[in-house]
Amino acid sequence: MIHDLAPQIFNGLVLGAFYAIVGIGLSLIMNLTGTINMAHGSFMTLAGYLAFTMVSRGTSFWFALIAAPLIAVVVGIVVERTLVRPLYKREPFYSLLMTFGLSLMAEEIYRLIWGANAVPFSPPPGLASAVSLGFMSFPKFRIFIVIVLVIAMIGLALFLTRTRFGLRLRAAVQDTEMIAALGTNTQLLYAVNFGLGIFLAGIAGVLAAGMLGLSPTSGNALLMPAFVTVIIGGMGSLFGSIVGGLLIGMAISLTTLWIPAASEVSMYVLMALVLMVRPRGLFGEEGIFG
Amino acid sequence: MSEPLLDVDGLCTNYGKISILRDVTLSVGEGEVVALLGLNGAGKTTTLRSILGLTAARAGKIRYDGNDITAWPAYKIARLGVGYVPEGRRMFKDLSTLENLQLAENGRGGEWTIPRVLEHLPKLAELRSRKAGRLSGGEQEMLAIGRALVSNPRLLLIDEPSQGLAPLIVEDVYRILGELKQTGVAILLVEQNALLALKIADRAYVLDSGRVVHAGLAAELAADRDRIRTLMGLEVAAR
Repeated sequence: MIHDLAPQIFNGLVLGAFYAIVGIGLSLIMNLTGTINMAHGSFMTLAGYLAFTMVSRGTSFWFALIAAPLIAVVVGIVVERTLVRPLYKREPFYSLLMTFGLSLMAEEIYRLIWGANAVPFSPPPGLASAVSLGFMSFPKFRIFIVIVLVIAMIGLALFLTRTRFGLRLRAAVQDTEMIAALGTNTQLLYAVNFGLGIFLAGIAGVLAAGMLGLSPTSGNALLMPAFVTVIIGGMGSLFGSIVGGLLIGMAISLTTLWIPAASEVSMYVLMALVLMVRPRGLFGEEGIFG
Repeated sequence: MSEPLLDVDGLCTNYGKISILRDVTLSVGEGEVVALLGLNGAGKTTTLRSILGLTAARAGKIRYDGNDITAWPAYKIARLGVGYVPEGRRMFKDLSTLENLQLAENGRGGEWTIPRVLEHLPKLAELRSRKAGRLSGGEQEMLAIGRALVSNPRLLLIDEPSQGLAPLIVEDVYRILGELKQTGVAILLVEQNALLALKIADRAYVLDSGRVVHAGLAAELAADRDRIRTLMGLEVAAR
């Protein structure tokens, strides 16, 4: 039993870390500007493909792990400045539709450039093997993924709590107008915040490409669980996203073990249960639509 | 006479199609305290918001320290040394007192550093790590003033500082405003409690339905209760 269960729990942890990091990015963007970024998964895919292209041309994986997300950030900031920004003053519905359209376009563009089929993107040789823990063995790359994602989350937490810019971001979430009245350029804040969300998505995108595969729709496949993560964890709470991500990672992973056919459904069941008890999510302060 | 620090000329502001300010003209000189009085809905808050660029002016000109700031974004105006103490304080409730102060640091430099503000407002020093949302109304008003000071303003826009505070606390707040006046910062003070504001103001304007209906020396207006009564309604003068 333990031989089945232990690896599955660890898989749940890895999946959960992905959902959490993507959910945190979504949350950052949603909290500050009310934008529901349906193109978030497309940026993950973009970073994945960019890393794939770099590595297949001889660049090291390590370089690609940082460079590909950074290029995605540049694209993201251009998108934010040109397409999302004009919609900030409208209801969230508009930016939701716009980014949804953008994700459909991105999918087609990826198909044109990299083909419709999944491309092989394997972890670097040093991480390709597995470690044996006695009662189970586990791929090194997945352990690496968890480490990188945890570092990214800690880095974000430090950025938000220990830097001047992070302080301004936290304040702007509460009162954008007042932060402007105190001399902060809120447009710059929006752009950097959007870029930050995309950077986290980009890192997750490169790592996910190595573990879950890379195709024009692979990033979008993580988008729905990430939204569920945010809803379970509670809007506005980054810590909630971490807990929510781990919960549904576990739920999906464990249902795969026992009732494989229900693995997709399990996160929605979990979401329904959480919302029945706590309509604002586990750590949320506002209603989902409030 | 040289140009005043703040010069508002023919300001008109709308909310949607509703006209709020109609041809408002006023000025604030260097180091001067000017009261902006009027009943609820007269356009006092909108005037401050328009000056700071939070609500766009439809017509008219706003000049500050030699710059035409009419269409400037709020953050640029703030960085020129315009401090804002808004109605209802508008603390960042989830942040600590100290963090609220840090947000106003803008690198302009000047005598008002955070340690100096805390020295000046010792109550805030005791509460430095408490969340702003857990401060009392009076403490929040102090924090709002302290926060504006940290930006080293030459002009403070203060909106209803006495609102919702107990009389003793109001006295405290006005004592501090009086001290600020001594330091030479100019203040445009919006207040419903006319007599209170006139005590520290040099000059006063009275707004009614978005128009300036009176402009003159504060002392003269304060002495003329009948005038206040006609301009602002009975209940105000009765206080």
